[in-house]
Amino acid sequence: MIAKKVLLVGNFGVGKTSLIRRFVLNEFSEDYISTIGVRVSTKVVSCNDEKIKLLIWDVAGTKDDEKVPKAYFLGASAAMYVFDLSREETYLNLQNQLQVIKDLSGLQKMVLVGNKKDLLTAQEIDEVKNKIPLQIDLITSAKEDENVEDAFTQLAKQTLK
Amino acid sequence: MISSKINHFFIEVATDYSGNVKEIVAGKFVKKEFVINTSIFTVCPFLEGTLEALPIKEPFLIEGMLIISSDKEYNVDIELFKDNDFVSVLIHNRTNVYKFVDQLNQSRNDLFFLKREIDEKNKELKRLREIADKANESKSRFLAMMSHEVRNPLNVILNYTDLIKKENLSEKVINYVKYLTISGKNLKVIVDDILDLSRVEAGKLELANEPISLQNIIEQLRNNYNASHTNKEIELFFNTSKDIPEFVFGDDVRIYQVLTNLINNSIKFTPKGFVKTEISVIKKEKNKVEILFKISDSGRGMTKVQASKIFEEYQQNKLSDSRIHKGAGLGLSIVKRLVTAMQGNVSVESKVNEGTTFLVEIPFLIDTQNTFRKKEKIEKLEGNFIKGKKILVADDNFLNLKIVEHILKKEEANYLFTRDGVEALLAMKKENFDLVLLDINMPNLSGEELIKQKKTFDNNNSRTPFVAMTANNTKEDIESYFSIGFDAVIPKPFTPKQFIDKLNNILSKSVKS
Ligand SMILES: Nc1nc2c(ncn2[C@@H]2O[C@H](COP(=O)(O)OP(=O)(O)OP(=O)(O)O)[C@@H](O)[C@H]2O)c(=O)[nH]1
Ligand SMILES: [Mg+2]
Repeated sequence: MIAKKVLLVGNFGVGKTSLIRRFVLNEFSEDYISTIGVRVSTKVVSCNDEKIKLLIWDVAGTKDDEKVPKAYFLGASAAMYVFDLSREETYLNLQNQLQVIKDLSGLQKMVLVGNKKDLLTAQEIDEVKNKIPLQIDLITSAKEDENVEDAFTQLAKQTLK
Repeated sequence: MISSKINHFFIEVATDYSGNVKEIVAGKFVKKEFVINTSIFTVCPFLEGTLEALPIKEPFLIEGMLIISSDKEYNVDIELFKDNDFVSVLIHNRTNVYKFVDQLNQSRNDLFFLKREIDEKNKELKRLREIADKANESKSRFLAMMSHEVRNPLNVILNYTDLIKKENLSEKVINYVKYLTISGKNLKVIVDDILDLSRVEAGKLELANEPISLQNIIEQLRNNYNASHTNKEIELFFNTSKDIPEFVFGDDVRIYQVLTNLINNSIKFTPKGFVKTEISVIKKEKNKVEILFKISDSGRGMTKVQASKIFEEYQQNKLSDSRIHKGAGLGLSIVKRLVTAMQGNVSVESKVNEGTTFLVEIPFLIDTQNTFRKKEKIEKLEGNFIKGKKILVADDNFLNLKIVEHILKKEEANYLFTRDGVEALLAMKKENFDLVLLDINMPNLSGEELIKQKKTFDNNNSRTPFVAMTANNTKEDIESYFSIGFDAVIPKPFTPKQFIDKLNNILSKSVKS
């Protein structure tokens, strides 16, 4: 079985740890325990009739101009950029931030995920979409388990490209 | 030889390219997790996928990784070095350092979210406050408008009752008219109170800041009460202490209102005995003085609970009292608001069946220049300047015209009445007047439009003083009338005396010039 290293990055508190917990353990907690450094979880997924062992790096969230250490990306096959739909500052500068991560990691593509869908109305979500000049891959809720599986499936697919 | 203590803070392991442990080189940190010929990925999952990608013969550092051993989590920094056939993995235990980072980080993020929550709550609060303010404002505006609409006809009624009184009447009718006057005046007090209260609430109340004599206010009170107070069971006293400054800056009308409200309240609740009004100095500095106005009575007093609520809106002491109370119980809340607006303070002391004392403390600036006296000399006029003057009056309100007519007739003026602006314009084309009185809201041609044509009059009327009669009497309104050319404004409703004084004032000036 092949193993693939993937990273979840984005602003602090957007729900990276929560998405991973939901995906790996099917759990959710309202508490916010900020991640320090890196925590690696694994889960085996099937993708195009192939089994992949995903090595999921839950990276500490960044703030403002903070950068994810370049060393973390060594050997990574894909990355998911998570933002919080309910917090404008986590998506205002998306284009720039994605570019920085592409430069650091050498990855060509990333899965773009807007989390905490449960906190917004459909109309508000449309408004957020209009503010973002990029294609959002998935709109998720770790809390209500919406599109979490799909987000990771997409991430797994990307590791094969 | 490495000291045994440091040994526990690191471990150095050598593995092959696929992560199998080949040798424990040095150190003892979580040593039992590293077994020769087993995969290092079990305890170091972060090395899977990473080792393969390591560049050859380049030291590589990865900070902030996590190792779990015996259910304990350790934060570690990793130094890697890939040689031709093995990888050196040096693991530093940094748990102690990261513990602090963790705390700092957590606090930072918690603070952030807390701040966000507060911001949002504040936004919500602000929104709610705006809604409440708006509601309150429209309420005040509505009340002010209502009172306005009520005050005008009410004044007409009162003025007519005054006129009727002067006719030859039967005993019966005299009594009827008396009751009519009392009720009318009571109603006027209520309406005036509501208007005042809503003005204060809407922040529309403007206090004058002119040189005033507190002594004069007391004299005026004494005179007025002497004339109107007929209840022999209650004696009224008025006292001013000698050290009161002659002139201070303030609003005498409002101070008068505060004092009469308090005195009336005391009279109302004193079946027998006295009501005493005293003014004294609390503290005096070079140009500042704090004055105490004390109104005490020997009335029936109040309980503590009643006293604590006395300044609230719509409170009237609910003890049974066979006498009809004047007003809607708004008087004291107006007192409170007026005094507060004057930066002062009002309090009450009371004992049931012994009496009540109201204490009003107000700070004033002292008028050291005595500008008041100079001003008064100019304004106090002797003589009748109205007599024989040609006065043009334009007003579409029949009742107003009647009242003005009554006054002008008594003052022996030579007057002409018109019913709108167009008629007034025609009259002015024909002859010259000494004074023109214009209602503002008239059909066909309003007073405002009319005065704009004043400059174009080719006869002497272009120099005649024009006076606006209007119920729009906020400060802004009055200023705007002056700015479009009116020489004076008579606010409606007016008393005959106010009307006469104003006319005398204007006519005396035009005589001089
Ligand atoms: N309502 C809602 N809350 C969520 C969701 N996902 C995460 N949260 C909450 O958001 C907070 C932060 O979640 P984490 O998963 O710790 O966020 P993170 O991105 O890992 O944060 P860092 O580790 O500091 O970078 C927690 O209180 C979660 O309960 C979601 O989908 N809906
Ligand atoms: Mg996290």
